Amino acid sequence: MAKSKKIVLIGHFGVGKTSLIRRFVQNTFSEDYKVTIGVHISKKTIEIPEGESISLIIWDLEGQDDIKKTRPSYLLGTNGFIYVFDLSRPITFENLANELDFLKENYSNIPLKVVGNKMDLVNKEYLTQYSSIFEPFVDFYVSAKTGSRVETLFSKLAKALT
Amino acid sequence: MNQDEKLSIIKDILLTDEREFASSIEKKIKILENIVNEKKNLSSKVDPIIDDKLNEFIKEIPKTLGPTITQALKEEIKNSKDAVVEALFPILGKMVKRYVQHEMKLLSEKINNQVNKTFSFKRFFRRAKSKAAGVDESDLMIQEQTNTKIEQVIVIEKGSGIVLAEFSENKMADEDMVAGMLTAIKSFVEDAFTKESQNLQYIEYDLYHIHLQNFSSFYIAVVVSGAYNIIFKDKLEDKILEFTSKQKVDDILHNKTLLTQKLEAFFKNGKV
Repeated sequence: MAKSKKIVLIGHFGVGKTSLIRRFVQNTFSEDYKVTIGVHISKKTIEIPEGESISLIIWDLEGQDDIKKTRPSYLLGTNGFIYVFDLSRPITFENLANELDFLKENYSNIPLKVVGNKMDLVNKEYLTQYSSIFEPFVDFYVSAKTGSRVETLFSKLAKALT
Repeated sequence: MNQDEKLSIIKDILLTDEREFASSIEKKIKILENIVNEKKNLSSKVDPIIDDKLNEFIKEIPKTLGPTITQALKEEIKNSKDAVVEALFPILGKMVKRYVQHEMKLLSEKINNQVNKTFSFKRFFRRAKSKAAGVDESDLMIQEQTNTKIEQVIVIEKGSGIVLAEFSENKMADEDMVAGMLTAIKSFVEDAFTKESQNLQYIEYDLYHIHLQNFSSFYIAVVVSGAYNIIFKDKLEDKILEFTSKQKVDDILHNKTLLTQKLEAFFKNGKV
């Protein structure tokens, strides 16, 4: 019987949280942007290296420009967080340090992965220009569009939950 | 009399008719100017013509534009079935609901009449039960006839929405997804009303009723098909309480296998 773990994706509007989940769960991508209202739940069972399987119950929360505005009851019982920002839009990572401080203060023992999405839209010069803001915190640079490193992100998080 | 005066007299004689004609034209122009410049006057002249033309146009619409409009509407409805259904659903839904309510009332009255004409021990007990529960006898009879069934039982951890155990004879939906969504809905509703110690207790989904019963660290969601009324609700609540106390659910919450076995054994027949 696979263990179930609750994963919550948070971040600003339009950073690609839903696209990341869709890429991971269904291996698809759509250019159409439909804003998430409230919460959307998905599930995927994966094998972890120890030979066990784990069911990730993934909560896709609606985007917030301030993490403090997120409904606390949606975060109850969370086993792992994925904080997503959009590499191509500085406004989504300008306050990254404070946002992560809030998570660490309130959910200190819960594994957290910080993810820069839309890697396909930026080049090396651009990354160099802004890297001082997000480089100290970021765990993965991913692209929901190409699928780059998406599977790895969820696998690493799942492993951290066991 | 000089030359000019003579010429003037000759002009008068020769041009009298022309002058009168010019004068009459001037008068007519003034009348026309008055008509054109005064809205009221113009309206009295033009309105009857416009009215006639409009009436003619209205009469001609069905012949000229009718087929085109009908065709366009047909096409539009064909291409936007969902939108049409969405627009009509609130009206039709209410009509159907009212009709069903009316028919149920008639059925209830018929049953009451029938019951009053007959006597049996079963009826005696039903009547006693009706008085004790404060429920109409006909409702009890309807409940006896309808097939109310427990379709799925899910024990869900509060807050996280993680499934602690699940039982269903015919798998209806993915329990993890259902539990997650129910928890999200519960969280939202309970946050929105911001009243302490109040819980969401019931959700209706299409033909199913989702009964939610809260405990300290978990809640139980029961998906029910068929009639869900106050009698059934009471019985179900008792059954769930019996399950949680007899099976000591609090002690085995984190043993998914054991809790699932106990849940299955307890709710297997699908009845309360």
